Amino acid sequence: MSMEIEDQELLDGFLTETTELLEKLDDDLVTLEKTTGDTELLNRIFRSIHTVKGASSFLGFELLVKVTHKTEDVLNRLRKGELVVTPEIMDVILESVDLVKILVSDIKANDIKEREIDGTIEKLIPLLSSSVTDGGSAPEAAPPPQAETATATPAAGETKPEAEPQSDAISPQPPKAATVAPPPQPVVKAVESKGEDLSDNTTVRVDVKRLDDLMNQVGELVLERNRMIQLNSNYQGEVNQESFSEDFNKLTKRLNFVTSELQMQVLKMRMIPVEKVFKKFPRIVRNLARDLGKEVDLQLMGEETELDRSVVDEIGDPLIHLIRNAMDHGLETPDERLAAGKSKMGTLILAAAHEGNQIIISIKDDGKGLDPDKIGRKALEKGLITDDQLASMMPREILDLIFLPGFSTKEKASDLSGRGVGMDVVRTNIKKLNGIIDIKSELGKGSEFILKLPLTLAIIQSLLVEVEGEIYSIPLSAVMETLRVDQREFHTIGGKEMLKLREIVLPLVRLERVFGVSRKMDTDSACYVVVVGVGEKRVGLIVTRLLGQQEVAIKSLGKYLANLPGIAGSTILGDGSVALIVDPVSLVEGNDGASTGRIAA
Amino acid sequence: MENALTIHRDQKEKEDASGELIQLVSFKLDEEEYGVDVLKVREIIRMPSITRVPNTPHYVEGVINLRGKVIPIMSIRRRFGLGEVENDKSTRIMVMDVDGELMGFIVDSVSEVIRISEKEIQPPPPVATSGVDQECMSGVINQPERLLVLLDLEKMSSREDRKMLSNLSI
Repeated sequence: MSMEIEDQELLDGFLTETTELLEKLDDDLVTLEKTTGDTELLNRIFRSIHTVKGASSFLGFELLVKVTHKTEDVLNRLRKGELVVTPEIMDVILESVDLVKILVSDIKANDIKEREIDGTIEKLIPLLSSSVTDGGSAPEAAPPPQAETATATPAAGETKPEAEPQSDAISPQPPKAATVAPPPQPVVKAVESKGEDLSDNTTVRVDVKRLDDLMNQVGELVLERNRMIQLNSNYQGEVNQESFSEDFNKLTKRLNFVTSELQMQVLKMRMIPVEKVFKKFPRIVRNLARDLGKEVDLQLMGEETELDRSVVDEIGDPLIHLIRNAMDHGLETPDERLAAGKSKMGTLILAAAHEGNQIIISIKDDGKGLDPDKIGRKALEKGLITDDQLASMMPREILDLIFLPGFSTKEKASDLSGRGVGMDVVRTNIKKLNGIIDIKSELGKGSEFILKLPLTLAIIQSLLVEVEGEIYSIPLSAVMETLRVDQREFHTIGGKEMLKLREIVLPLVRLERVFGVSRKMDTDSACYVVVVGVGEKRVGLIVTRLLGQQEVAIKSLGKYLANLPGIAGSTILGDGSVALIVDPVSLVEGNDGASTGRIAA
Repeated sequence: MENALTIHRDQKEKEDASGELIQLVSFKLDEEEYGVDVLKVREIIRMPSITRVPNTPHYVEGVINLRGKVIPIMSIRRRFGLGEVENDKSTRIMVMDVDGELMGFIVDSVSEVIRISEKEIQPPPPVATSGVDQECMSGVINQPERLLVLLDLEKMSSREDRKMLSNLSI
């Protein structure tokens, strides 16, 4: 019995370590392909695989041992200089690493299956025979992948059935195409979904220094508590109003300071570098580039930028979408690029940086850029907008059309993009994180997608408002401005209340109506309007009173009350009562029918 | 180790013979007495200030702050259609563990913890008492001096779940 527990501990350790090694491996391998001569990198890759092999043989995962053993042998030959890294060899190595990932995730799921591994191993074996030299390696190594694709992919197909038709499409190809055919592609697809559950979200590694800092802060907090107890006992019985209020004031200030420090520390511990997401991309970009026949130089910047775990977990998918789009729609083929007078290799820059309380992630390519005319035409064809609407749109607004559900400029949906769901999903995901997405584009020069995300989802700045006696909190990130308006200034258009605010007509939403608050107070003709904006849309929320700005910690309402319309969560106020947090996104969207219109002259 | 196991089994068998003892928290709504499994009850608190939550079913009273955790509060009265009464000093919230989440239920008063043998539990009568949902009743306990209705609040909330979802889709 105790032995089993020990085994479980060993297994957990193995999984954590292997997962970390594998995550790094992808990135390293792609880098290796670019910098062939880097022996240190090669050694590191070799060591990683070696470690995985050693641990798995110790724990008796035979399939894993077989695959890693052969991969290690190939890497060893590369290390000794008997082989030279070529894209074809890299394909095979990447494929076997993918296989290793699948096997590891099987172990993690406690569901060890007999998987077909011979296909991949047979591809590795030719690389081990001494006859393969650097010059001849490509043609000789490649035919096996071609022949094995059909057998290798069904194994992956088990995890994701969609991969199967893919392999069928590839196998009938004439053998000649083998050297350029990218066999790992279907396998990669399967791994993308599998690989994600590989990464462990239940444990965090924290810098010891941060932990020490935290302990220090907690020490401070304990001191403040002691002072408070002291103060309490000092003033027990006799109350000297003046000196009490002075002491209490001091104490409050210190306590405030210590807790906000503490809050920062804990927040920092939850932060992880965005590198965790970024490091997946070189691999994805490499495969896409090979599939699309494009040459891409991916540059990563600001990988060390830190953001909250919750945000990191959510931005992966939107970023993959954007990268795919940039590579598929944005960047041109080498020939097109040369014709346009650009360098043959396209550049894709993925950058992250802090800006105030936000993190900015940008995906920039130097491709052909977004063409407003083409986008406008497509949107018309798909019936997403009318002629009149298009005519009145600014070029900037036309670009935003790509976020409409069902929009696609591709004539034919490719495997990568063009089904017209991508950008819509991207924007929805970003919105969920309280973020915004912005497009910059110059025709012929390239385009840039900019994501602005909050640092954390746990604590937000909010505006507390009162609605007929009830207190609600509105996330400050969505608040544009607040106004005190006389209700007589409201206009009614189509039964909906509007307010003329400078050059725009602002649709109004009565919070008391949305939230069914019973009217307690006399109707005062003056009220406050909180202008909230999501993306380009603006809505004015009518509230009774503004109470002020406060930093609030978001508390979930639980499974039970999740997904309430107009409510994003709750928070606890200074007096211990609960206040609900308004969800500006749903209120703005819910008002879609009457979107902000421009006043004609 | 094995010894301990057999001993434990023996005990269990003995209990089975006399009917396993279970403990119930009994509470009152109007003059009727109800009981819920003590293991499901996390704590019993007085009425704090409740924050109303808009667009919820009528029996969701709102949410409260339970030492930093926000939990929903249901009114069993409203759920069972028992008619409103003013909250008084005996009104309590029973905080229960429902499907792994905490949830509070408002009751008129909490009486005591009682032990009964499982054998005393009879299936609920076909006609439910005063509007209490048949589905939430898991049995009745008929003792000479009292009649106790055994409630399964977990069932009550799973029904609510479905209801809420259908409410939201409108």
